[in-house]
Amino acid sequence: MNPVRGKNLQNSADSPDANRSSNVMHPPSLQLPTAIVSQSDVNRILREISTLEDFFLSAKARSAGTTIKPPRITFMLEQLARANNYNLLEATHRADLKAKLESVLKTAPMLHISFATEPSLKVTDAVVGWLRSNIHPQTLVVVGLQPTIAAGCVVRTGNKIFDMSLRSHLQKHEPYMVKLIQGAVSAER
Amino acid sequence: MDMGGLALVIGSILSAAAAFIWLAWRIGKTPSLKSAKGGPNQQLESAAKEDVEHIFNDEFREELRNRGRLHFEKIIGENAMFLQQDLRQTTTQLNDYMRSEITRTLQQEFKKYEQSITDAKQLALDSIEKTITTIDQQRAFLQQQLATQSEAQKAQIIARFEMEMAGIINHYILRAIGNQIELSDQLDYILAELEANKKAIVEDIKRGT
Repeated sequence: MNPVRGKNLQNSADSPDANRSSNVMHPPSLQLPTAIVSQSDVNRILREISTLEDFFLSAKARSAGTTIKPPRITFMLEQLARANNYNLLEATHRADLKAKLESVLKTAPMLHISFATEPSLKVTDAVVGWLRSNIHPQTLVVVGLQPTIAAGCVVRTGNKIFDMSLRSHLQKHEPYMVKLIQGAVSAER
Repeated sequence: MDMGGLALVIGSILSAAAAFIWLAWRIGKTPSLKSAKGGPNQQLESAAKEDVEHIFNDEFREELRNRGRLHFEKIIGENAMFLQQDLRQTTTQLNDYMRSEITRTLQQEFKKYEQSITDAKQLALDSIEKTITTIDQQRAFLQQQLATQSEAQKAQIIARFEMEMAGIINHYILRAIGNQIELSDQLDYILAELEANKKAIVEDIKRGT
């Protein structure tokens, strides 16, 4: 979380540009940034939006001259708002975003992907980006750990498991390895 | 001399002794012509008695007695000598006979004993031979069985090794590699694999939806 962004939000809430941004066209379907990976990320954003709602509600009710502390928004929410041209200062935008996020939670395909080690942000971004551009634009991914696969990954959809690991690769080539060793042993005899 | 001859000799000695005893007894028992009085016969009888007494007086009787004694002693001596000779001969023959009989019996017994020993030896040899044959058969059978089992076990071990080998090597590689490969380096491989499975993933997601 970035406290500077919180300050920016406070500043932008007071600025006259807030009403202008309501005319911006939003994409028909929500574009999820790669920073938002899993269902829990979406839930977290929904909670943040709710917090923002509460904040604006309390801001209306505050007495003049009272200082208020705005909530800090996360990088994920900021990216989401930016990617979909939403202004989080506007209640309609927030409501629309919330509704779309809830829709995403209901309709977005869920994939479970396991790696041998904890993936870096770069790897997660690349994989999620590929999935969203090739499989479904709102794909949500649960990242897991499976050290026994050594390398590669295992993708689990609703009905299938796609084992793209080194373990699976080695297992597929077991007969070839046995054949090679048998050849070597028979040649030695 | 056999037993018949020995019995004959002993019989003759006993008969001679019996005759001598009888003669002595008869001589001692003969009544003497004592004074007889009566008729002429009696006179003659008494005269004859006197003559007899005259002829066979005590000296003459003593002489006869001595001669008889000497003759008897001579016969006894001769017979004793014969008897001694016969006895010696008999003893010798008996010894020879006994020796030959004992020798023969012993030889027979020895022969039987030897035969028994030979039989026992043969029996033992047969038994040992049979045992050796049986042991050889058992050994051959065991050897064959051992070879068969060894081959089977070898084949089983090889089959198991072949079956498990790949798994072991895979396990080793996975363990050896572990977390050594950086995930960033795998990114191209992962994306390529995802690309390869793209169609199947999309289909599954559509089906799920």
